Amino acid sequence: MSEEQLIIPWEIDSTLGKLYVPPYIEEMALEVLQHYNFKVNQMEVMATKEEKGGLIWKIETDQGPKSLKILHRRPIRSLFSIGAQEYLRKIKKARVPSIVKTNTGENTVEMGGKIWFVAEWIESLYEVKKDLEGTKILSNAIGEFHHLSKGYVTPIGAEHASRLYRWPKAYKRTIKKMKWFKDVANTHNDMPASRLILSTIDTFQEQARRALTMLENSPYSQLTARGNKEWGLAHQDYGWGNGKMGTGGMWIIDLDGVAYDIPIRDLRKLIEESLENLGKWDVSWILEILEAYHEANPIEDAVFEILLIDMALPNLFYKNMKEMLYEPRLFLDEKLKSDVERIIELDHTKWPVIEQLRKEWKGGKNK
Amino acid sequence: MKVLIICTEKLPNPPIKGGAIQTYIAGAIPILSKNHQITILGTNDPKLPHEETIDGVHYVRVPGKLLETYRKGVATYVRENRFDLIHIFNRPRLVSAVHDVAPNSRIILSMHNDMFKKEKIEQEEAKKAINCLDKIITISNYIGEEIVKFYPEAKSKIQTIYSGVDLKRFVPVFTEMGQKLGNSIRKEHNLESKKIILFAGRLSANKGSDVLIHAIHELAKNHPDIALVVIGGRGFSDNRMSDYIAYLRAITYRFPVPVITPGFVNPGQIQNWFAAADIFVCPSQWEEPLARVHYEAMAAGLPIITTARGGNPEVIEVNKNGVIVEKPEDPMEFVKHLTKLLSNPSLCREMGQYGRRFVERKHSWHRVVSDISQVWDEIRTRIENNTATANISLINEEKQNLNENKSEQTLQITEEEVQGHEKKLNDSLEESTEVEDDQTVQDKMKKDKEKNGKGKKDKGQKEKKEQYSRNKKKLPYSPFRKTRSKNLGLVKIKINIFN
Repeated sequence: MSEEQLIIPWEIDSTLGKLYVPPYIEEMALEVLQHYNFKVNQMEVMATKEEKGGLIWKIETDQGPKSLKILHRRPIRSLFSIGAQEYLRKIKKARVPSIVKTNTGENTVEMGGKIWFVAEWIESLYEVKKDLEGTKILSNAIGEFHHLSKGYVTPIGAEHASRLYRWPKAYKRTIKKMKWFKDVANTHNDMPASRLILSTIDTFQEQARRALTMLENSPYSQLTARGNKEWGLAHQDYGWGNGKMGTGGMWIIDLDGVAYDIPIRDLRKLIEESLENLGKWDVSWILEILEAYHEANPIEDAVFEILLIDMALPNLFYKNMKEMLYEPRLFLDEKLKSDVERIIELDHTKWPVIEQLRKEWKGGKNK
Repeated sequence: MKVLIICTEKLPNPPIKGGAIQTYIAGAIPILSKNHQITILGTNDPKLPHEETIDGVHYVRVPGKLLETYRKGVATYVRENRFDLIHIFNRPRLVSAVHDVAPNSRIILSMHNDMFKKEKIEQEEAKKAINCLDKIITISNYIGEEIVKFYPEAKSKIQTIYSGVDLKRFVPVFTEMGQKLGNSIRKEHNLESKKIILFAGRLSANKGSDVLIHAIHELAKNHPDIALVVIGGRGFSDNRMSDYIAYLRAITYRFPVPVITPGFVNPGQIQNWFAAADIFVCPSQWEEPLARVHYEAMAAGLPIITTARGGNPEVIEVNKNGVIVEKPEDPMEFVKHLTKLLSNPSLCREMGQYGRRFVERKHSWHRVVSDISQVWDEIRTRIENNTATANISLINEEKQNLNENKSEQTLQITEEEVQGHEKKLNDSLEESTEVEDDQTVQDKMKKDKEKNGKGKKDKGQKEKKEQYSRNKKKLPYSPFRKTRSKNLGLVKIKINIFN
């Protein structure tokens, strides 16, 4: 039996350009396209996730523009996301791209150990502004997405992807990784950013510990007991890149990481990204974003409490430190030092705002 | 008997892609198949046909990867075929589905991990599974105790059968052959004058290699002649980077002593690294079922430092074949034990020799296979006597009596069969050691055995028995004390050496 060629992550060096694709994958793409009824006139690489073996092309066909995508995750995991996209589009009429069926009526083709699929290309999409109005539009759109995703059931043959019960584990991992960062900064204490990191990391680790204690004392387990189907899906990678304005309103794209969750997590990430752009925590800014979400997917009190706890994690610090593990000799430089200074300043403005939010959020304007 | 072995949905049989359970089954099958008609049901693989017969063992492969998919294929196959006994490995979630389509077959479950914990199986499903089972074999007392904690009704069905190690492949460091193997590795890596501390396992925070690295850093202050060897990758045959591995790399920058990281080493080659080591450390942080590396380290004649986690302490007799770290997260406790061992080479040697004898007596494949064989025979008796599965807990006492009488005739496996089989297993693992070398080891070991004196065996046993009972008081855990004492026949005799 001949051994199947598997797609393996590839490396890009500067001479090849960011959009380089190994020839064997291009050959596979042509083979995959044989499974479809349309005729392809042109293919263009739009983005690669070369370090994981993922890729997206825009293809021009006789039936209009479409996307051809290789999902980098395990096939059975990818099938969960494909199922979700089909559910959201077909059953719930959500603004997510329609999946184009193969000539045998399938959603996907499996080749090279990965799932490939074709979806409609939404031509009109553009990014909304990074100001408050733009953020509110994004917030409302993800609320709608969360609302519509309720009731989704893992298809037969797909892996059940859920983060619903994993919050405590994720919090513990954050605490543990703070120790890793500390150890690495200690080993590389001759680097520009190390001293500042070492002087502040205990505070951030303590924040993470407190957040875990709060989570353990919160209604989290009562909420999760409702089960995956009740909660529906979080996008898990939502922001300006994956929520875009187009025909009929906001479209949500790149659903490959969707998983069952308390979906407010997406909103927390969106809010924090917008605050980082703003340069400070601001209570009225956040309240407006919450209102926009609440209109599409009402935030109950217990979920609001979970949101505040999730905000209490040192998310921004953590996100900025992660890379240090990989290339400490490059990463712990002056640039990181000034980033950490900025993060510390931002963090000072965070705590009073969380307290204010607790007081001022009345569970929506109408309450 | 017509026996069906049902493997997990993850990796195929024979173990062309590795896997602890797959390797375990491959180790036991050649001998078990002499007395039973065996079919092995497992997951499919592009490299293997859906069905084939090798050496009288029938292999059937159905789509796997995902348990739900696999369970369907399993149920279909079991419905269409009839077996006296169905032996399922590590998947309690297959039990009810199998029982539903084969209500007249006896079912045994072997547990290699804690798959009964509540994240892994719904309580109702677990209860139903336990009810359908004739026996639950666990690879450590710890795994059995964890099941009983949540499901007390399982107690009478649980029996520990510890795993085994290939005693020929792992060559003791104190033999000439062991030194020869070890020296070539030392030379290759420029470690000739070093004291080598060995870690072997997956590189994940659970396995605790970071704690060991911190300990070694501290230890290097007073022992500049040490080196750390960290064998393993992210997973089986997987040398990809992860946050954790990046972290390990980052903290070993400008390290005071050499840290050698060969990555994933093929199971057929790993004995060479054991032969090159001076001390073996298992710094596990999680409640581990019982890591196989302990047997391998003992077979290689190394003193062991392990942690008070899961089943690991069950194979340690403190200060005899190793020591137990009580606070696994504290590098200083490792430093303390390592310091003692490093400054006392004769203690290391004694522990290594004791460990080697320990696995020779208790952890040969021969012993594992005969234990499994006995369980199967026990089931055969139940079938012949028409004993209902539901009544098993009620007639527990009676069952034991029956088997005690029967034990002599159950073990019909000869030493030659085991040796022949072990050779086969070695070949299949693409062992690099040449046949000639193999012969040398065998001869050497035979001589060693003779030197120890067979005639003195009885006296030696008595001595050990006394030593053990003295030692027992100090032990936090005691190997073979609990469920094993209820074991039967020949095994019981063997265990009596220590009881």
